Amino acid sequence: MSQYLELFQSQRALIDGNSIPFLNQHRDAAAQALAQLGLPTQKEERYRYTDVVGAFAPNYGLNLRQAHTAANQPDAAVLRQAEALYGTLASVQADAITALNTMLVQDITVLCIPAGEQKENPIRVSQLLRSTAPLMQNRRLLIVAEPGSRARILLNDKADEGQDFLTTQVTEVFVSEGADVEFYDIEQTHARCHRFHQFYADVQQGGRLTHTVFTLTGGLSRNTTQVRLSGKDAEANLYGCAVIDATQHCDNNTLIDHAVAGCRSNELYKYVVDQQAVGAFAGRVLVRPGADQTDSRETNANLVCTTQARMFTQPMLEIYADDVKCSHGSTVGQLNDEALFYMRQRGISQADARLLLKQAFASEVINALPFEALRGRLQVLVDQRFRGELNHCRTCNLCGTQNT
Amino acid sequence: MLEIKNLHATVGGKEILKGIDLTVRPGEVHALMGQNGAGKSTLSNVLVGHPAYTVTEGSVTYNGKDLLAMSPEERANEGLFLSFQQPVEIPGVPMNYFMRAAYNAKRKHLGLEPISSGDFVKLMREKRKIVELDSKLTSRSVNEGFSGGEKKRNEIFQMAILEPSFCILDETDSGLDVDALRIVAEGFNQLRKPDTSAIVITHYQRLLDYIKPDVVHVLINGRIVRTGGPELALEIENQGFDWIKNEE
Repeated sequence: MSQYLELFQSQRALIDGNSIPFLNQHRDAAAQALAQLGLPTQKEERYRYTDVVGAFAPNYGLNLRQAHTAANQPDAAVLRQAEALYGTLASVQADAITALNTMLVQDITVLCIPAGEQKENPIRVSQLLRSTAPLMQNRRLLIVAEPGSRARILLNDKADEGQDFLTTQVTEVFVSEGADVEFYDIEQTHARCHRFHQFYADVQQGGRLTHTVFTLTGGLSRNTTQVRLSGKDAEANLYGCAVIDATQHCDNNTLIDHAVAGCRSNELYKYVVDQQAVGAFAGRVLVRPGADQTDSRETNANLVCTTQARMFTQPMLEIYADDVKCSHGSTVGQLNDEALFYMRQRGISQADARLLLKQAFASEVINALPFEALRGRLQVLVDQRFRGELNHCRTCNLCGTQNT
Repeated sequence: MLEIKNLHATVGGKEILKGIDLTVRPGEVHALMGQNGAGKSTLSNVLVGHPAYTVTEGSVTYNGKDLLAMSPEERANEGLFLSFQQPVEIPGVPMNYFMRAAYNAKRKHLGLEPISSGDFVKLMREKRKIVELDSKLTSRSVNEGFSGGEKKRNEIFQMAILEPSFCILDETDSGLDVDALRIVAEGFNQLRKPDTSAIVITHYQRLLDYIKPDVVHVLINGRIVRTGGPELALEIENQGFDWIKNEE
């Protein structure tokens, strides 16, 4: 960790000079918090399944002199709003990775959905890593959905093969009264990528947030997802699907904070863990005093396909209110032998039968998503993933191959 | 077509089949009767290659090939079909998707191209009528939420799609009311070709009123102790199994 603090201190002028004032003004507090917290070890409950210190130990390069291109002329009012909201959900005191990101981040993508605007088409944020040397990248996304607005945001993470990458991403989403935000995070990186995504959202009265994370290919993936339901009748839906094999590691850590009465949350995460992969899920639901009429469901189901694969699952319900309806369930199982045999008796090869069962398992998450056009696309991606045909290059047109 | 010689098999280390000899010629229907635990289902599971069963002695030749050397899917693609006593529910795998995978596996085995989706829909529609299977069921997950009768009908429906040359009906009559039994049995009879062979496993004469056997075998304690014509089934219906046991 000290290497990052040293880098920050020695290159402060370069970092500030290639960024914007409202990001710069948060750096000192972030550095101070990072120095105090230190990177989390596995003794820390929230990080017990992921070796953060190990992931940040190698010497990655950082490009501090990036070319800045504003996607479009920033609107002054939007900028003022972003400046006021930046860092209010992603507390640097509460998390060292968020602090590290805040200390070093130089670029931010701000999406503002004006009041009442109904965006039918998804807003796509595609992130592609390319580098000729090991690279660390810090990313920042801030989304404001004004009252009554509606938007779908599709985040797609990819990386060029053959290089080591470390990314931190902090996303803050502000869902105003009656707004409806669907956020889809699809990771298709590779074995040499370490990805940390800290996602924070606040949902106001009558608002709804749907958060979905698909881990298809990657190395180490750690997704922290924290949603606060802070107005009556707010709703959060959290969906996750991880298809991991080889030496992949995927750790989803979620917190749904029922801060007030009368909110709903629903969580469904499914993992297919094959070969020597390691999966972890910890889902904490916090029902604060006074948050009566809370309705919360949490499900984590996992398919562990080999004896070397590992899955850790930890549902946590913390209830400080009386009149609530909360449930949680967690299962870890193997492929159903009788179902496999039944399919083989009908002539389907063992490999295909296993494939069908895995696809069936994952399809529950896909079918739960409210975005119909994406469901079909995800089904294709997941099927390709199970067949071992999902090459992140196939869907990117940089190297000249056709899109599929 | 099927020749079983001195077949011994164990499950969980316990010997269940203790020397079965049985020959089924093309077009013949053999009924296999016997009390619970006699080894009827073990025989059907061994024939289709269920991995929980171990063959310790003997041989099975199917169309001149060593059946026991084949994987379960090879046996199926060679035309062997088991109508399961308890069909398995497979949540999340749609019935039509499953059947198409099975149908195409067989086509591949025969060196044919996969069927087009349009043609497959037509095939499903045509075969559904034979067992009066509701179209709603074929769009659901395999056997999920099906009633006992629907599951058995679904087995015969799958048989209709795959057109096997050798069928094993393992207590297809159990859990069926008279109407369902008639539909299932008539469906089977309609599907039979002159050279289709079958082993019909049952406790009761009832099913044999619809599916007429050429030969009836009685299995007791892992051995076939008596073989006769259709009249043997009637004798058992009237007198039970004890008279055979007493004669042993």
